[in-house]
Amino acid sequence: MPTADRRRERKERDTLSVEWVKLELLRTAYATRGGLLASRDPRFVIGWYLIFAVVPWFTHDLTVLAGLFLVCAVAVVLSRVGPLILGLFVFGFVLESLYVLFAAWFFGGDLSTVLALVELTLKLATVSLASMAAFVSLDPEKLSDALLALHAPAMVAFGVSYGYRMLPMLMEEFHTVVDGHRLRAAPLPSPGFLGWRVVVRTGSTVVAAFYPLMLNTAKRTRTTVEALETKGFTYAAEHPAGRRIRLAHLKADRWDAVLIAATVLLVAGCFTLGELYPLPVQVG
Amino acid sequence: MNSGQEPTSAIEVDGLRFRYPGADVEALTGVDLRIERGDITAVVGGNGSGKTTLCKTFNGLVPHYWSGDFAGTVRVCGVDTRTTSVADLSHLVGYVYQDFGNQLVRPTVRDEVSFAPVNFGLDDHAERTEEAMELLGVAHLADRFTWQLSGGQQHLVALAGVLALRPEVIVVDEPVAELDPARAEGIYEALTGLNARLGTTIVVIEHHAEFVARYARTVLLMADGAPVWHLPVREALERHEELDRHGIPAPQIAGAVRALVPAAPVPLTVPEAAEALRGVPLGGAAEATPAPPVGETVAELVGVHHGYREVGGGLTRVLQGVDLTLRAGERVALVGGNGAGKSTLLRLLTGLKVPREGTVRVEGTDTRTVRPAALADRVCHLYQRPEQMFLKDNVREDIAMFPRGRGVPDTDALVDSILDRIRLTDLADRDGRLLSGGQQRRATLGIGLGVRPALLLLDEPTSSLDTASRDAVIAMLDSLAETIRCTVVATHDMHLVAAWAHRVVVLDGGRIVADTDPAALFADPDLMDSVGLIPPQIVRLGLELGMEPPPLSVAELLDRGLATTGGGSDAHR
Repeated sequence: MPTADRRRERKERDTLSVEWVKLELLRTAYATRGGLLASRDPRFVIGWYLIFAVVPWFTHDLTVLAGLFLVCAVAVVLSRVGPLILGLFVFGFVLESLYVLFAAWFFGGDLSTVLALVELTLKLATVSLASMAAFVSLDPEKLSDALLALHAPAMVAFGVSYGYRMLPMLMEEFHTVVDGHRLRAAPLPSPGFLGWRVVVRTGSTVVAAFYPLMLNTAKRTRTTVEALETKGFTYAAEHPAGRRIRLAHLKADRWDAVLIAATVLLVAGCFTLGELYPLPVQVG
Repeated sequence: MNSGQEPTSAIEVDGLRFRYPGADVEALTGVDLRIERGDITAVVGGNGSGKTTLCKTFNGLVPHYWSGDFAGTVRVCGVDTRTTSVADLSHLVGYVYQDFGNQLVRPTVRDEVSFAPVNFGLDDHAERTEEAMELLGVAHLADRFTWQLSGGQQHLVALAGVLALRPEVIVVDEPVAELDPARAEGIYEALTGLNARLGTTIVVIEHHAEFVARYARTVLLMADGAPVWHLPVREALERHEELDRHGIPAPQIAGAVRALVPAAPVPLTVPEAAEALRGVPLGGAAEATPAPPVGETVAELVGVHHGYREVGGGLTRVLQGVDLTLRAGERVALVGGNGAGKSTLLRLLTGLKVPREGTVRVEGTDTRTVRPAALADRVCHLYQRPEQMFLKDNVREDIAMFPRGRGVPDTDALVDSILDRIRLTDLADRDGRLLSGGQQRRATLGIGLGVRPALLLLDEPTSSLDTASRDAVIAMLDSLAETIRCTVVATHDMHLVAAWAHRVVVLDGGRIVADTDPAALFADPDLMDSVGLIPPQIVRLGLELGMEPPPLSVAELLDRGLATTGGGSDAHR
C-alpha cells in the first residue's frame, strides 16, 4: 500500500482508544474509584441526588443557580468522576454555551435572551453534575438495593443490577461485531471530503452491528429467564421475606445525616446569596 | 422434607408424553423411568431425542413454564411435579444449563450463590451460601464479578447457585459442551464428590462416551422421545453398536480393547484397558512420518510483548518475549491454559491489535504500518463463538460479504463452490444462528474460505461439538491445505491436536515453553501437567503400555500392534 508509508505507525494506546472507553465505562459503572459518596448509604446518595435534581427548577436567579452549580462541581471532584465522563460533559457544556450565544445572535436576540438561555443551560448542567457524582459512586448492587428500599418495583431494581451485569458482555460483543465489519466489509475507495465516507461508514456499521448483537442477546436471555424462575425470582416478588434479608445490610450512620444536613445548608446558603445579590438585577 | 427414609426413587416417571405448543410431533413419546436415590445417571442420545425436554420435566419447567400437551406423571422424591410450582421444586431439583454463563444473573459470585436462598427468604442463607461455595471450592472467588471468571469457574458458580438450596437431585446439561476437557473433568470430580458426600442424585446429559464410562453408574439411552434402555454403565457400553447408531461413538480405549481382545469386558478407565491389553504384543516402532517440507515464512513474531489494561488501572502482561515463525504448509496447534495468551497472539496476527513491543509481520508486512482492513485478505480469524461471525441474515451473504466487497470476479460462483464444499447449500438461506453447532462451525469455515487468506486462524473450532460434528470439522480442516497456506488453531481439544496438527506450540504464562509435534508433547507428562492439558485416552493407554512414542489414534495403535512380532511384548511385562 503506497499510502501506508506516509501514515504514522499504529501503536497500542492506553488513553483515547476503544479499549480505554470500555474500561472507563466499567470503572464508572462499578464505582471502582471510591470517593466521598461511595462510602455512604445508597439511599442517602439517591436522596442527595434528588435534592439537586429538583431544587434548580424552583428558581430563576442566576446567583442561586451558579452557587448550586459550584456545589455540584465540587461534589464531582470529590466523587472522583473519571476523565471520559467528565470530558464528555465539558465538551457538551462548551458546545451548548457556544450554541446559546450563536442562537441568540442569529435570531436577533438581546442580552435578556442570552440570560434566559444561560439559565436553562445552568440548570441542566447542575443536574448533570449531580447525577454524575451520585451514579459514579453507586455500584450496581448499591443502586439496586437502594431502589428496592425506596419501594421501586422489584422488576426495576433487578433490571438495574442485571443491566449492569450484561454491560461488559454487550460491550465486548459489540466491539467484536464492529471489528468483523471493519475487516470483512468492502474497503473505502477514499475517505472523501473531510472524511465524510468514513463518517457514513462508521454510522452504518454501528447500526448494522445492532442486528447480530440483539439476536445473539435474545438467544442468551431464554436461559436466563428460566433460571430466574427456578431461583425463586417470582416467588420473591410475592413473599416479602427475601426483600427483608436483601436490605438488612443497609444501615445509615450519622455521616449520612451529616451529608444531607450539609447539603441542605449549602442549598440554603445559595438561596441566601441569591436574596442578597440577585441576578439578573430586577429593574423596577 | 424427606423425613421418610424408605428407599423411594429419586425420580419416577410414568407414561409421560409431552408436546410443545405449536409442534407437530411429541417431544416425549411415552417415558417410563426410575432413577434411584444416590445414582449418577448419564442421559445419552442424538440431537432431538428429547434428552433436555425430559430433564426439564424433573424441575417442573415442563409443564409449568413450557406449557404444552402433558400426559402421565413425574414424581421427584415422591412429589408430583404437576401439582407443585417450579419455585417449590427447585428445593428438590437443581438444574445447570448447557449455556451456564447465562444462568448467572448477579454481578458477584457471593450474590449469585445466595440469590436463590435470599429470594426464598431462608434465614440460614448465609450459611448455605458459604457451604455451597466451600463444597465446590469457589469460596476464594466470592467477591469477584462473574464476568471476570473463566468458563470452568462460571460452571462451578452456577452449580453452587443451585446447590445452595440443598437439592436432592442435580441435573447438569452437557458440561463438556462449553468447557475444555480438563475443566469438564473438574466439574465431574465435583459432581462425584457431592454424590459421595451428600448422597445427591446426579443426572447428566452427555455426548462423550469417555466421560460416561468414567463417571456414570447407569446410562439412559433416549431416542425419538422415549428411553431405549436404562442400564448399568458397563452393560450399556457393551452395546457399542447401538450407541454408535445413536451418535455416541465408543470411547477410544473401548474400541482398542475390543479389536485386540474381543473377549475382555468393556474397559471404563485407561488402567482397566491397560490391564486388559497386558500380554498383547504392542509397542512396535512408529511409522516414520516424513517431516513436511519447510515452506517460506508466512508470518512471524519477533520479541513480542503485549498486555492489556485492567479496570483497576494495572497492566496485565499477556505475552512476554514471544518469537515465532509460521511457514507455508504448516498445521500449527496453539495450546496452553486459560490466560496463557493464545487469543492475544491470534489477535496480534490479525493486526486488530499491535504489540506494545516487538514486531509482527504477515507476509513481510509489519502490522503497525497498515490498517487491519488492509491485512484482512491475508489473515482471517474465525472466532470461538460462531454467532459473532454472522453479520448478515443468511449464510450465503455472510460468505459473500468479503469477496464481494473486495470486487472478486465471479463471487457468486465462488460462494456456490464454497457452500458445496462445506455441505451447506441446502441451508444457505438460513440465518447462521439458527443452525446446529456443527453446521455453524462449517459456516464460519466457509466465511474463512471466502476470504482465501494465506494465514487462517481458528479459535477453538471444535468446542461445544458432539463427537460426530467434531470429526466432520476436523476432516474439513484436513482439506483446507489446498487453499490456505498456513493454518493456526488455538485449542484445548487434544483429540484435534492428535488428529490434525503437525506442529504444537505450547504457551504458558505468556511465553512459548515448547515448540514440538503432538506425539512428543503427549509423551511429556510434566509439560502436559504444567499447562493443564490431558492427552486423548488412546495416547494415555499407549503411554501406560510403555509405547514410545505413544500412538495418536486407535488405528495407529492397532497397526503398530499388528506390525510387531511376539518378542516385543516382554519389554513391558
